[in-house]
Order: sequence, then structure tokens, then C-alpha cells
Amino acid sequence: MKKLLTLAAIVALTSWISTSPASAADAEKVYKFYCAQCHGLTGKGDGPNVTKDFPVSPRNFTEAKEMDKLTDADLKNVILDGGPSVSKSPMMPPWSKTLTVEQVDGLVKHLRGICKCKGKQG
Amino acid sequence: MKALLTMTFGAAILVATTGQALADAAAGKAVFDAKGCADCHYTEGPAREKIIDDQLAKKGPELWYAGSKFQKDWLSGWLVDPKPIRPMKFNDLMVENPGDHPKLGGGDAGPVRDFLMSLTSKDVKAGKVKPKKNPKGRQIFAKKMPCSGCHEYVGRKKKIMGGRSGPSLVEAGIRLNPDWILAYLQKPKVFKPVKMMPVFVGLLSDKDMLNVSRYVANFKPKKKK
Repeated sequence: MKKLLTLAAIVALTSWISTSPASAADAEKVYKFYCAQCHGLTGKGDGPNVTKDFPVSPRNFTEAKEMDKLTDADLKNVILDGGPSVSKSPMMPPWSKTLTVEQVDGLVKHLRGICKCKGKQG
Repeated sequence: MKALLTMTFGAAILVATTGQALADAAAGKAVFDAKGCADCHYTEGPAREKIIDDQLAKKGPELWYAGSKFQKDWLSGWLVDPKPIRPMKFNDLMVENPGDHPKLGGGDAGPVRDFLMSLTSKDVKAGKVKPKKNPKGRQIFAKKMPCSGCHEYVGRKKKIMGGRSGPSLVEAGIRLNPDWILAYLQKPKVFKPVKMMPVFVGLLSDKDMLNVSRYVANFKPKKKK
């Protein structure tokens, strides 16, 4: 009976883990809804807001070399508190009152997926 | 006696006017439904959107507080000649606004306007915002917070500047009710619980929001000399 319960627990856990693609999909949805306005749907920093008058170049998330200079905590901070929190442009707004912590964590993972990089280890 | 007659006459006019307005709004609702406007715009509050998918499922903006949001004169003209407000297609970051919003004939536009103007929100308090040049509001709009990053406006040398993902704010001062701008900043969840714009409650003070509202409400066309 004990073995059966353990097996059931393992199956449940595996099933829960296998739902992670759903949360990845959620993160992509969050990214496309909020971030793509400036960073572009594929993360190249080319969203529709980036006209020739746009005062800064939004981060290109596909540039692994640049993204590798940042820790996950750096990314999380700038999403929550905006550009000025890391001495960058206020064109990057603070999303702390808009996004949940889970959404921000999902976004950080999504950005690591775009850059295909792990980032600086904190 | 004279006072009584004046009062009775005044009350009669009020009842007649109110009754007429209600009749016009009802006629407008009938036109609104007959023309299929409700296929893209919902008109009964409160806000229905809870998750991103809810917002993305909409074909057009909600109108349940249109009477608190828009200015009547502007709405009269726009229903007949609906020029794009958003640079991009609604809920789309890739496609330009095709500018294909249906037009209403003069006979239909008036009643529909009256219907929409009858849709108000108790969360918009009248008389709070007076449009005026406002350096503090400008500072927040263009520098402190990235409003200009997503909204077009008229910058220096009368040049249209700003981002394109949000509704244009060029001439917002003749389109939007100044008091609604403030209410929207202060209570975003009431009007648009799921939106691409950040929530600034807790990040901007009420005074900052008032300054931004005054500044945006002052975006008006230059008077012709």
C-alpha cells in the first residue's frame, strides 16, 4: 500500500512538473501583452513604440552577451522598479503595481529563454 | 404666487428635458444594437476583464462609462467621421489601425451619442480637473514616468512624438473628460482591470496624477488665427 501511495505521489509530481510548459506559455503571454510594446514580440527591442524619436534603445533580449552581464535578480529588479532603479532610462516603467511576483519570475525565465543564456550568477 | 409659478415651470422643463434625454438615449440604444456596435463594444458595467485572455478577446474598447470618459461635442463629430484614435489596430502590436471603424449617418449619430453619454460611472467625480499648462505634469508625462513612451502627443515644434502602442493623446483635451483622466489614473482597476499600461497607483501621488491629468487635458488643437 505504501509503495502504491509513493508511486501515486511520484505520478502526481511528474504530472505537476509536466504542467510547467503551461506556465511558460503564461509567461510568454505576459511578455507579449506588456513587454512587447517596446521590446518587440521576439525580444529584439523593436516594438511599435520604438520610433526614430524614441529616446533610448530598449534592451534587445536576443543579445546573449549583454544579457549574460545581468543576474536574474537584476532582471527582476528592473521589471519591478523600472529603469531608474538600475540607473537606466525611465522609459522602462516600474511594473511592481501591475504584475504579480509569479508573473515577474515567469518573465525572467522567459527572457532567459529568448537570450538562451543563464546570466551572471549572483 | 409668481415664485410658485416659476418653480412649477422650471420643474416642468426639467422633467421634459430629462424625459427627452432618456427617450433619446433609448432611441440611441436601439440604433447601437441594430448597427451591430455591441458586437465589438460592451456597454454594461462593471468591467468584465479578469485575465489577459479576456482583454484580448475584445474587438473594441468597452463603453460602459463612455459618458464619463468622452466629451459630448467630440463624440458627435467622431461617430460621423471616426478617425483612428489608436495608431495600431486594437489589441494588436503588429498591424496598423486600418481606420475602418463604421461611420454613422447624421440621423443615427445623435441618438447613439445620447445613449453613450448616458453611460456614466460613479467613480468619476466632476469638477476635479481643470486643464492647464502644467510643467510638473509635463515632467512626469515625458520624463519621470514613460507615458510618452506609449502615447503620441504634440511635442516641441508641433511635432507629433511618442509611442504607438497606446491610444494617441494628440488633442486628448477635446476628446477626454479631464475628470475621467484623473479617475482612470487613480482607479485603473475600475475601468480597465487588464491593460497594457502600468498601474501607477502607489507610484505616483494623487497630486502627481492631478498634474498629469491637467497636462493631458490641455492637449488641444491650436486656435486658428
